[in-house]
Amino acid sequence: MARIAGVNLPTSKRVPIALTYITGIGTTSAEAICEAVSIDVTRRVNELADTEILAIREHIDANYAVEGDLRRETQMNIKRLMDLGCYRGLRHRRNLPVRGQRTHTNARTRKGPARAIAGKKK
Amino acid sequence: MARSVWKGPFVDSYVLKKAEAARDAGRHDVIKIWSRRSTILPQFVGLTFGVYNGRKHIPVNVTEDMIGQKFGEYSPTRTYYGHAADKKAKRK
Repeated sequence: MARIAGVNLPTSKRVPIALTYITGIGTTSAEAICEAVSIDVTRRVNELADTEILAIREHIDANYAVEGDLRRETQMNIKRLMDLGCYRGLRHRRNLPVRGQRTHTNARTRKGPARAIAGKKK
Repeated sequence: MARSVWKGPFVDSYVLKKAEAARDAGRHDVIKIWSRRSTILPQFVGLTFGVYNGRKHIPVNVTEDMIGQKFGEYSPTRTYYGHAADKKAKRK
C-alpha cells in the first residue's frame, strides 16, 4: 500500500489517476509529477517500486502544497478577507456568493437547502 | 478581465492630491472621498478615508493588506435587515 502525503492511494489505478486522490493535485499536476520522476503514465500503483514511491513523495513535498497545508492556506486567505471588512469578506461571513452572482434565485451551493417561508402560497 | 499592467493602477487625481495634503499636514482628520473606483496605493497606508456609500462617508483605516483593492470594497452600499417572515418564524 502506497501512502503519499498522508493519503492511501488506490493500488489498482494508473499512477496519475491515483495521485489525484491527494487534495491539491489534479490531472495536470499529476501528469507533471510522473514526468518529473520519469514514471510511465500507463503504469499502475501496485507495480511501483519503493524507491519510485519515495521519489514521488519527495517531489510532492518539495514542489506542491497539498492536503492539510493547502486547506489551511485557503482557510487563512478567507479569514484574512473576513477580518479586513471588505465586501468579499462580508459575503463570506454571510455565506452568500462572493463573486457577484445573483441571489434572487439559485445560489443554493452557498445558501444551503431552501427553507420554507411561512405564509407564502400560490 | 484584469487591467493591463502598462496602464498602472487607476486613482482619481483628486484623491492623490488630498492624500498628499493630509500626509504633509497633521494627517489626523478623515479624508472625504467619493471615488469608490480608485485603487488603494501603498502611500495611503495609515491614512483614514471617508468613503462615500451614497448616503454618508464610511471611515476606512487603510492597512497594508488593503493595497491593490478599491475603496468601494470597504464601504457597503446596501442595508439589509432580513425578511419580515424570517423574523416572525424566529420569534415563535
